[in-house]
Amino acid sequence: MKKRAKFKKILVANRGEIASRIIRAIQEWGSEAVAVYETPDSEARHVVQANEAIWIGDGPCRDYLNIQKMIEAAKRAGAEAIHPGYGFLAENPDFAAACREAGLVFIGPPTQVVKWLGDKVMARKLMEEAGIPVVPGTEPLPLGEEGKELAAQFGKRYGYPIVIKAVAGGGGRGIRMVESEAELLAQLPIAQSEAKTAFNDPRVYLEKFLPSPKHVEVQILADEYGNVIHLGTRDCSIQRRHQKLVEIAPDMLNDPELTQKICQAAVMAAKKVGYVNAGTVEFLIKDGQFYFLEINTRLQVEHTVTEMVTGVDIVRAQLEIAAGNPLPFTQDDIIIRGYAIEMRVNAEDPKNNFMPESGKKVLVYYSPGGFGVRLDGCCYPGYIVPQVYDSLLVKLTVYGLTWEEAVTRLRRALKGFVILGPKTTIPFYLQIVDDPDFKKGIFKTDYLETHPHLLNYKEDEPEATKIARLIAEIHHRGFNPYAI
Amino acid sequence: MRIKRYMPVEDILQTVRQAKGYFITNTQRDLSQSDFKNRILLHTDLLAAPYREEAGYFSLEISGGASIHVDMLRKQVNPFLKLKLLRQKMPNTLFQTLCRGVNLFGYRPYPENVIRLTVREFAKYVEVWRVFDFLNYVPNMIPVFEEVKKAGKILEPCICFSTGPEHTDEYYVSKVKEILEVTGPDIILCIKNHGGLGTPARIGRLVNAIKQAFPELIIHYHGHNTDGNDIGRIVAAVLNGAKIVDAGDHALTGFYGPPPILTVIDTLEAQGIKAEGIDRSAVIATSQVLRKERLAYADFEAQYKGFDPTVQIHKLPGGAMGSSLEQAEKGGFLHLMPKILLEELPRVQKELGNWWSVTPGSQILWTTAVDNVLSGEHYANPSGDLKNLLLERYGPFPFYKPSKEIYRKVFGPNWKKIVAEESGLQEIEPVDLEVERKALEEKIGREPSVEELVLYLQHPNDAVAFFKFEEKFGRTYVLPPQVWFRRGGFKVGEKISFTDYTGKSHIIEVGPTHYTDGKKATHFVIDFHPIVLITEDEEKKESSSAPALTKEEIEALAETGDIRAPFNASIQKIEVKPGDEVGSGDTVIVIEAMKMQTPIESPVKGRVEKVFVKEGDQVKMGERLLLITPIEE
Repeated sequence: MKKRAKFKKILVANRGEIASRIIRAIQEWGSEAVAVYETPDSEARHVVQANEAIWIGDGPCRDYLNIQKMIEAAKRAGAEAIHPGYGFLAENPDFAAACREAGLVFIGPPTQVVKWLGDKVMARKLMEEAGIPVVPGTEPLPLGEEGKELAAQFGKRYGYPIVIKAVAGGGGRGIRMVESEAELLAQLPIAQSEAKTAFNDPRVYLEKFLPSPKHVEVQILADEYGNVIHLGTRDCSIQRRHQKLVEIAPDMLNDPELTQKICQAAVMAAKKVGYVNAGTVEFLIKDGQFYFLEINTRLQVEHTVTEMVTGVDIVRAQLEIAAGNPLPFTQDDIIIRGYAIEMRVNAEDPKNNFMPESGKKVLVYYSPGGFGVRLDGCCYPGYIVPQVYDSLLVKLTVYGLTWEEAVTRLRRALKGFVILGPKTTIPFYLQIVDDPDFKKGIFKTDYLETHPHLLNYKEDEPEATKIARLIAEIHHRGFNPYAI
Repeated sequence: MRIKRYMPVEDILQTVRQAKGYFITNTQRDLSQSDFKNRILLHTDLLAAPYREEAGYFSLEISGGASIHVDMLRKQVNPFLKLKLLRQKMPNTLFQTLCRGVNLFGYRPYPENVIRLTVREFAKYVEVWRVFDFLNYVPNMIPVFEEVKKAGKILEPCICFSTGPEHTDEYYVSKVKEILEVTGPDIILCIKNHGGLGTPARIGRLVNAIKQAFPELIIHYHGHNTDGNDIGRIVAAVLNGAKIVDAGDHALTGFYGPPPILTVIDTLEAQGIKAEGIDRSAVIATSQVLRKERLAYADFEAQYKGFDPTVQIHKLPGGAMGSSLEQAEKGGFLHLMPKILLEELPRVQKELGNWWSVTPGSQILWTTAVDNVLSGEHYANPSGDLKNLLLERYGPFPFYKPSKEIYRKVFGPNWKKIVAEESGLQEIEPVDLEVERKALEEKIGREPSVEELVLYLQHPNDAVAFFKFEEKFGRTYVLPPQVWFRRGGFKVGEKISFTDYTGKSHIIEVGPTHYTDGKKATHFVIDFHPIVLITEDEEKKESSSAPALTKEEIEALAETGDIRAPFNASIQKIEVKPGDEVGSGDTVIVIEAMKMQTPIESPVKGRVEKVFVKEGDQVKMGERLLLITPIEE
């Protein structure tokens, strides 16, 4: 058997928990990991975890988005490949291209594929050609009156509500829903100008809105030798404003035949575009029908749930593929066993519109452990919730042989956290795990709207901490001021 | 035969009536109030609970009096929760409360709908209701009587007892008759000897006189051991037919509360009279447990040890002895105590009608006597409560009215007009319970329970402060007195173990302390994880010490609209807000000190400019309360 190729050194062009996740895989794989950081991250966990770390600027965020600096850093460290993680430059075709021009391996799909799939309209067109059902939609609409006219026609044909989407959007950004023609015509120019500002691309298109569908996605792995396999589905129906909150593997459709069809469509989609490396094909499911939504050409936040139910280390597979090795397993080797649930523990106040608790210091951080509990985090006692980056503290992923076991383990693990300092999403998640519908596995994308009472929880410190506060008062004052 | 909680009320009364011996009530609440300034914690009562349950008392007096207030104010425990937790460990023992009639568990009359709601809620956990009125004015007790009967609980109306020419057997027998006419025969009658007054012979005669008049009536003798002779009175009461007597656990007995249970048992046993239902070894075992705990309460025992047989002169109730001495020491007038106790108090008592020195009357007598001595002028600074008393708003004087000179002194030259217009029993409008519930919800930011509403209606500011405490610090009754009352801080490395209210065990280890920005920060290890806790800058209020002003200066400032606190007090009610116009003589703020309320009137007509305090604040003499810009007329 041919000796498998390997990189000596890989640069991780990201920060936070995903940088740590990738660094771990690189080090396990037997390579060295190079971290990059902006000044606010100089004490971040990924910086100390990597074999070496390179400062790329004062940031914030600016330098993590700077293609030139990333490539210079890789060159300086002598890295052979770059892993982009998610967010930042991960789906930027210019970055993929620049890496390759500089003689570095970009750990992701071919540049052209990134480009095509980043264009939502192009992606829809390709899928239609491949015979995969897509949600009825339009081409990108021209600016001005002409676009309005086309939009109105589409509205007449398919009815309302309709979603206006930015061609260059993604991950829930650049989406707005309209209920009537008047609203559509009013919102269209606003959406176009916003898309220009946010994505530097004013093109938007329309899609028929599917009311409260389920969101199911398929994890794909493809190598350079034409092997394309799927690692089963994920159910990401529980969302807040199109942002995923809870992710589950496999899907909760309760329809193995449908799941099978969705997975095959995903493989077909990947083959159609000549996909290489890891990717995710997203679908909306409504009334037993599935519709192609988009392909994410990157590692996703929720990849951990798939890893738990398949046992496949997706990041390691990405490295193998990028090094030019064939996939070390076939579709038949993939067995999906049990259920995994992931929740993002964010330093946010759910009661205050999920406002990030930026600048707050984590005074106490105590995490759960034990069987079936996985943590991917960047938090530690003394961690300060950054003002300039995201508020994710740790991703909690639990595994259970049955759905019920996974849910009870999730509850146990959530209760096992002791995080003092910032408010977190944990008390809200505890509401979800106690919700009868969630326990039964019944949820669609309108879950939060239909379960608003879940936000009515009481925020409570652990009893021992409260009592310790009193002991501190007694200690500091030299007497109990509440007893005198 | 032992009395048990599940027995029907009529069976309990019948059993007591027919018993050869007598029964004992463990008056733990009164003991805590009289000898430990009400500070015995629920933690300690829970430790003693299994032994007290075994001991076989007629009842455990564990609620009422000042305890409802102090539970929230100083012990930070919900008085309802206290009863529920004790009940878990004491399923058979009757719980008893002391209710001040129309004053409930407070210091002044409540609206009738509040009285009824409060009794209804507490009656769920309390089987024996001892009810009194400081003027022995029966109508003041009727709403409570009715609710207790409605709840199917045991009613124990009191005749408050005192001494002096007016306090004859005939008077008391007629009072008993008046009560029985209202309640019917199925009650227990309490002789409430809150001062421990009279000789054993006097008490024996009184019990005998009542027994002669009402042979079937069950008499419960309640006394205090202030003069050291309550055992004598108890023995005399039982020998003359009292069926229930009050005493306390000997490991906790002091000077002003009840005498030791075991001494009562052994003394009467030698006379051939048996304590019914009592397990003597459990009585002893209770004290074995309590003895260790007593050390933690040393700070709250009377500074001046020893019995006080002069109580027969000054007649202070046992429950007020400790706090009176404490006030004298804090107020710097301890040297005047002989004058106050032996001369002024008996004089004021006589001048004001020789009624019963018990809450709230005892506070009126005490504050008046103290002020008379300290100011050097009689009735110079009458409290609002004294005025109400003189106007017979709390009830008619039982024997005689105070002299015209006192009325003139208190109400000024127009006293006749004032008395003619304002005299008579206070009519208190019912409160709108729904409005109060909403107000409480607003204050605590969540929906209150009915029990919380009841507590709020009794003591609005202190109940809210307690609910906020509980929210911040949790259920702290799990802490032992050694932690709760700790002085001088903890040692580094000291471990505090406790079981929280859910039953989970915790260990808090105290680490080193350091200072940051003038604040103290201490490292703790809670259940094996480290944490640094910083306390807020809590002293700022206290450090802004009020300027030391004389009474004259305060009055002079008030004339300019600069209203200052006339003495150390708490803000009870603020009647105005900035922008309001006030007239000369309008009440702008009501303050409270020594449980007496005093309305502060604006001496000028003007507009309220600024309010410096809020309800519940503690203020020092001379501290700014509000600023009024006078308006020229």
